[in-house]
Amino acid sequence: MTSPSTPKTPSVPTGQPRVSIKGASKSFGDSVVLNGIDLDVEVGEVAVLIGPSGAGKSTLLRCINGLERLTAGSVEIDGVRLQYREAALNRMREHVGMVFQSFNLFPHLTAIENVMMAQMSVSKRSSADARERASALLARVGLEDKTESYPSALSGGQQQRVAIARALAMSPKLMLFDEPTSALDPELVGEVLQVMRELADDGMTMVVVTHEMRFARQVADRVILLADGGIVEEGAPEKVLDNPESDRAKAFLRQIESGG
Amino acid sequence: MEFLDALVTSWPTLLKGLRVTLLLTFLTLFFSVILAAIIVALKMSKVRAFSAFATVYLAVVRGVPLIALLFVIYFGIVSIVKVDAFTAATIGLSVHSSAYVAEIFRSGINSVHSGQVEASRSLGMSRAATMIRVVAPQALRVVIPALVNQAIISLKDSAVASFITVDELFMSAQRLSAATFQPLTYYAIVSLYYLAVVGVMTYLSGRVERYFKKRG
Ligand SMILES: Nc1ncnc2c1ncn2[C@@H]1O[C@H](COP(=O)(O)OP(=O)(O)OP(=O)(O)O)[C@@H](O)[C@H]1O
Ligand SMILES: [Mg+2]
Repeated sequence: MTSPSTPKTPSVPTGQPRVSIKGASKSFGDSVVLNGIDLDVEVGEVAVLIGPSGAGKSTLLRCINGLERLTAGSVEIDGVRLQYREAALNRMREHVGMVFQSFNLFPHLTAIENVMMAQMSVSKRSSADARERASALLARVGLEDKTESYPSALSGGQQQRVAIARALAMSPKLMLFDEPTSALDPELVGEVLQVMRELADDGMTMVVVTHEMRFARQVADRVILLADGGIVEEGAPEKVLDNPESDRAKAFLRQIESGG
Repeated sequence: MEFLDALVTSWPTLLKGLRVTLLLTFLTLFFSVILAAIIVALKMSKVRAFSAFATVYLAVVRGVPLIALLFVIYFGIVSIVKVDAFTAATIGLSVHSSAYVAEIFRSGINSVHSGQVEASRSLGMSRAATMIRVVAPQALRVVIPALVNQAIISLKDSAVASFITVDELFMSAQRLSAATFQPLTYYAIVSLYYLAVVGVMTYLSGRVERYFKKRG
């Protein structure tokens, strides 16, 4: 996979993590969802978040790009602390792509218009430049023949690939994936994972929430098991998935092996 | 036969009135959409004073009968600046309709899935750009039938303008009936006029809806 714009990172002081989460806590009313999470994600690292339903995986991801506001603690991206003022949020989000379980493509726009929109609205590119870049990105995710289709005419796997291209159009330095294949028919999962795998090979920094254990084993640099609002186990995929230390981790892994 | 005669002979007079009514309805729709957009923006604002103002505006406008609102505006404005009855009617009808259009807009906005806003904001698009480029175009499709319905209501409401001497369709019928002592005939005829216009509006809205459906 070559052009367009292999998302190579701008110069960052070496050793500084791309994402640095310190003492992150999040409550909704009385219910504590995240309880003092500390987590660094290095430049170029692929971190896979796993854990039981309700563990707070989505919430953690959404706190990284400010869709949810932390109750306590902090998130830094390339050393810049996340602030919740609109202008600061917008500036940060330009460089942080997010892919959702339910795709969330804009249904009133064609595939290529979906990929062009933020380029024009946020990056102020001309329509011609945005179109050129969008069509290259759609080709990159294997959808060169679907550029003029509306989302309603695309399969789930195709929609999710458009959504990935849409995020990549902003040249993000970090990509967040929240169960990107959970809403897909089994036969469509592979094409989306393949695109993500290529992205990882290109050096993209990624935080991925997924139940795809094969993907975690093959692509993750680190697997993080979240349960009850905290990190219960983290490390290389083989270590976490095959030789977990905590009972909580063992129980979770037994459960997904038996249940899928 | 008499009825048909009346229908034909009243045509020139009623056509003049119809023109005024259509213009009044169009202006009402135009200004109430603009007013409603402003009210909804204020209502959704994070500035407490703005959203409070919108809440009060909606409560007052919906709580007052149209004719009372019209009289207050007509006699109120006339006492300050000289405006004609038509202008006063346009203002009154627009203000009245704007409260309902605002509700329609709000329900349209709420019908857009929150994931759309999250996707847009996640791309770095501002709140305003998200509203204009993502939410509004989707809300508009949902809202068109209700908006046409409101336009139909405004068309019929515009008859009230005759109370402040606007020479519109209903007023024309009133004058014909007074001159001929045949109220039933002319009020029946004028009803047919309203019915015909509503028919055309309903037909056009069906076309618009189908156009949007095709675009998926
Ligand atoms: N906006 C919200 N308001 C109130 N509670 C919320 C909100 N969002 C999430 N929660 C709660 O926070 C907890 C964690 O939710 P979250 O979606 O982060 O879990 P998850 O690990 O992603 O689970 P799943 O695997 O089912 O997606 C859940 O108990 C959920 O009900
Ligand atoms: Mg989740």
